[in-house]
Amino acid sequence: MAVVTCTGCSLLCDDIEAAVTNEKLSHIKNLCRKGHGHFQAVFSERTVPMVNGQKVSMDEAISRAAEILKSAKNPLLYGWSNCTLEAQAAGIRLAEKLGATIDDTSSFCQGILMERILDGRIPTCTLDDVRNYADTSIFWGADPSNSHPRHLSRFSYYPRGEKRQKSYEEERTCIAVDVRHSATAEICGNYYFRVPPGGDADFMEAVLAVLEGKIPRVADKKKMIELGSILKKTEYGVIFPGLGMIYSMQDKMDLFERLMARLNEITAFKAVPMVGHYNMRGFNELLREKTGFINSVSFRGGKPSHGPEQSVIAAAKSCDAALVIGSDPLSALPFATAKALAGVPLIAIDPRRSLATDAAAVTIPSAISGLEAGGTAVRMDGVRVKFEPFLKTDLPTDEQILTGIMEAI
Amino acid sequence: MAEEVAVTIVTVRDIFQDEAGRKSRFSDEYRDLSARILLDKQDMAALGAKDGQRLLVTGQPQQGGAASIVVAAKADEEEAHPGLAFMYNSPWSNQLVSEPSGGAGGEGAIPGFKSIRAAVSVTDGDVTSISELFSRMRG
Repeated sequence: MAVVTCTGCSLLCDDIEAAVTNEKLSHIKNLCRKGHGHFQAVFSERTVPMVNGQKVSMDEAISRAAEILKSAKNPLLYGWSNCTLEAQAAGIRLAEKLGATIDDTSSFCQGILMERILDGRIPTCTLDDVRNYADTSIFWGADPSNSHPRHLSRFSYYPRGEKRQKSYEEERTCIAVDVRHSATAEICGNYYFRVPPGGDADFMEAVLAVLEGKIPRVADKKKMIELGSILKKTEYGVIFPGLGMIYSMQDKMDLFERLMARLNEITAFKAVPMVGHYNMRGFNELLREKTGFINSVSFRGGKPSHGPEQSVIAAAKSCDAALVIGSDPLSALPFATAKALAGVPLIAIDPRRSLATDAAAVTIPSAISGLEAGGTAVRMDGVRVKFEPFLKTDLPTDEQILTGIMEAI
Repeated sequence: MAEEVAVTIVTVRDIFQDEAGRKSRFSDEYRDLSARILLDKQDMAALGAKDGQRLLVTGQPQQGGAASIVVAAKADEEEAHPGLAFMYNSPWSNQLVSEPSGGAGGEGAIPGFKSIRAAVSVTDGDVTSISELFSRMRG
């Protein structure tokens, strides 16, 4: 039996007890349902090295991938959010060497918030701070009961913390702001605030109004005034923005900044983005360190440039070859973007079969990080987590494959 | 009964569907949990649909193909929300997501994953398979 880290989501739970006997999980403790699916994935639908639908050796697959990237004029390197920091660093070096465009999943999810967090424009804290100090947690456009199943039990609601010994029974309040009465909203009971699709900015304005002692422009004024009272009485509050809030706000994120600033005039309030993939934040931090930008960067011409035209949504249309790793864009992106990517020579580095590996000119199997390969990742709250593999494999890591491609180029 | 009901689809997460997708994106279990639309009971009644009824969901016309899929209906047990439907985030819902064409960020802006405008009608067709979705991408 080993104690391992789950790379199934950005909580990076490091207390998983696991044992494998005869290629089956024979002992598991502390793993959520989502993590269980992640661990089970080790035993099915594994990829093999392929070029144009034919099985080849690993060396041949790497060599062909290098040829495709070398001959491309405008290659795109996309994915990265399910890769270790070590692999991400190798990927950024490869993009620089190729003069390629590099982007991760954050450009169409948490990026616009993460940029503000990393710039220090929105105050943040660790999940350990949440467990120890938070008395109010707001899940805004987020449903951790389905997306991050152990969030409430490890950090934000149920556990006893240093200054929260009475926990959810007396000392913690959780609030849900969502378009849907989600599983998390159910836990929040009366503190569920329903917003219409796209209505988050109006809700924020109403919160700002009650904080100023004004009458909010909402149907249920009494409930909104009650929310204002809770916020004012909060000793240490945390907002967890999910994609529901991000997609609704988009170019109005300054309003969220304003709300956070106003709350911090009254009391301590932090924001922790509900990052999905286990190391999206790691990629954002690494690329920012290298280029000043968290995502969507082109190294064409030697100098990094950044903008929406470098995001995967736009770059999928302009690239003439793509390498995808740590993500399946054909499953996760809009149809037209997926179709564009499926139409160029595609290199898919993936431990398991996906729509991208089925469409790829070159498929390169890799070890599953966290389970078969060690490395480092950055949790959603910025805490670095180092993990060791607990299953043996002969497969190379993502980092080794990328280094092999770079050497072949 | 209405031949067609207009809805805005918001994609959401579901832990059971997520687990199934991690085990296999090509399994019947993943298809059954993904190729479904949660409709308000009033909209279900307007269509004369019950749980499991196959529905044709047609999104906005978009570059590269017809944005329509066949999924199974499921009545949402939550509070009333006529005109608002939910789908679990998947390759099926992504068939309906239009790409951004303007505004801040232009073509590189965030697509409307949680604001899909669509028309829903009853059909006898089969639920769209993952292989059909893949063929459309390759076509």
